[in-house]
Order: sequence, then structure tokens, then C-alpha cells
Amino acid sequence: MKDIMRIKSLLSTDIEALLNQQIKKEAHSSALYLAMASWCNQNGFDYSSDYFSKQSDEERYHQLKLFKYVLDMGGSAISPEVSGIKHDYTSLREVFEDALEQEVAITQSFKNIAANCMKEQDFVTFEFLNWFMKEQREEEYKARRALELFEVIGEEGTGLWEIDKHVNKIKYDSEAAE
Amino acid sequence: MIAAKTQNAVNFTEVFSTRTGAVYQCDRERCWYIDFAGKLVKFDYRGLMKLKTSIYRVNIEALLLDNSKSPEIEMVFICACNHCYFLNLLQIIALKELLEGTFVMLELNQIIHDRLSRIVI
Ligand SMILES: [Fe+2]
Ligand SMILES: [Fe+2]
Repeated sequence: MKDIMRIKSLLSTDIEALLNQQIKKEAHSSALYLAMASWCNQNGFDYSSDYFSKQSDEERYHQLKLFKYVLDMGGSAISPEVSGIKHDYTSLREVFEDALEQEVAITQSFKNIAANCMKEQDFVTFEFLNWFMKEQREEEYKARRALELFEVIGEEGTGLWEIDKHVNKIKYDSEAAE
Repeated sequence: MIAAKTQNAVNFTEVFSTRTGAVYQCDRERCWYIDFAGKLVKFDYRGLMKLKTSIYRVNIEALLLDNSKSPEIEMVFICACNHCYFLNLLQIIALKELLEGTFVMLELNQIIHDRLSRIVI
């Protein structure tokens, strides 16, 4: 009996489902960052608003990268529904706290996919995930650094204004980044 | 619900069968034939995956607990192969069982291929 399943697709049903879930998570991240950009803009934090707009674009790019991979490997990629996006924040700090929390959740999610790839010896997908693992280093670093500005600069006086101006300057360019 | 009339076909390999139905693979056509609910329907790869998704998505427990709907008919529509199944609750459970067994066997078939014929020396 021919192995039609394998001829048609490199991905197992489980891995394909996990990748489709990740596509949805990236779409959710993208929408979430856009909502954050909106809040920041409405509250006069223009630099932070730009920062989150750019983040939103990046998440969309991540989504498409995963989407293409699933299709390239013979799977069926699913265009996700996104709902339940938070739009109300009480402070700029809360926005950045949520952003870091989101990145940590995404890192966890990729670790889980990688663990499943290991389990079923799907080293092809495992290798593909490396790009995202590296990306998460940068994403978490930037989100953590942004949040630290609230401690370093302080929110009093012109503090928030300073913090907003600094957000866009955060770069991940240490020796470990290469 | 008795499996019907398909054993005579020459190119078919039985993948899995239960008391209520059977799934056959046709290597030549690279597809599957599902003998269930009194008819024999051909599925290609996409179609089979779609059928699987639709059946697995049915919340059997919710249907069991829901006594507001009297006729327990759930329509399962598979657009990939312009084919429709109209199934009652028992048939949904039976088809799910048939598909679960089928996918275990197809996975096993893949393992056998990996171990026996895809050995790189
Ligand atoms: Fe991302
Ligand atoms: Fe991210």
C-alpha cells in the first residue's frame, strides 16, 4: 500500500495543527500591537505608537512566513479569525507590560512546537523554527528593555515624555545578537 | 448499517473497517474509498483531510446533552468532493471511529515505509 499521506505532505497532522495555531497567534499579536499603537497615539505617545505599528507589521510578516511554510510543505494553511483584542489601557506602563507578556507567551508557544518536532523527529520543521527562536530573543529583549525605562527614567515630571522618546531607540545589537 | 458490496474491487486495499463501514485505498488512483451509510464515496487527499476535520469538529457530547433538537440529524458537508453526508448521532460516532482507525493505520503504513523502504545507507 502506497504511503499517500507522506507523498502529499511533509507535515504530520499534529505539527500542521500546531503551525496553524501559531499562525493565529501571530495574527493576534499583530492586531494586539495595532490596538496598542492606537491607544498610544490617542494619549499623545507618538514614538510608542510608531514602535507598536512597526511591531504589528513584523507580526504580520511572521504570520505570513509560517503560512507559506505550511503551504510549501504540502499542508493546508488556515487564514485565522482574530477576536477579543484589548483596546483599553490605564497607563503607558500597562501597555508595555502586556507587550512583554505577549512575547513571553509567543516564545513559550514556539518552544512547545519545537518540543513536538523533536518528539516526532520532524527536524525539517525544527530547523525552520530556528529563525523564530532567534527572533524571539530580539522581541523579548526589546520588550524587556522598554519596560525597564520606567524604572531607569521614572514616570514623574517629564518622565513619560522621556520614556516615549527613548522607546524607538531600543536596538538589539549586542555580541550575542549576531 | 452493514458494510456493502465493495470487496470485489481488485485495486483496493482495505485500510480499516468496523461493523458499520470500511475504508479502502486505491494506489492507482491515489485516493480512498469510504463505504459508509449505504454508499461508496471517493476521497482524494484534500477531501479525506476535510472529512476528518469536519467529523472531529462535531461536538458529540454537546449533541448528546442537547434535548431541544428532536431529530438528531447533523449535516456534514464536504465541499472538496461535492459530497454530502446526512448523519444521525450514532452514525457520526461510527464514522468518527472508522476515521480514527483509518488514520492510525495510515500512520502505521508511513512508519513501515520509513523503516523498510526509506532506509538510506
Ligand atoms: Fe512574532
Ligand atoms: Fe513578536
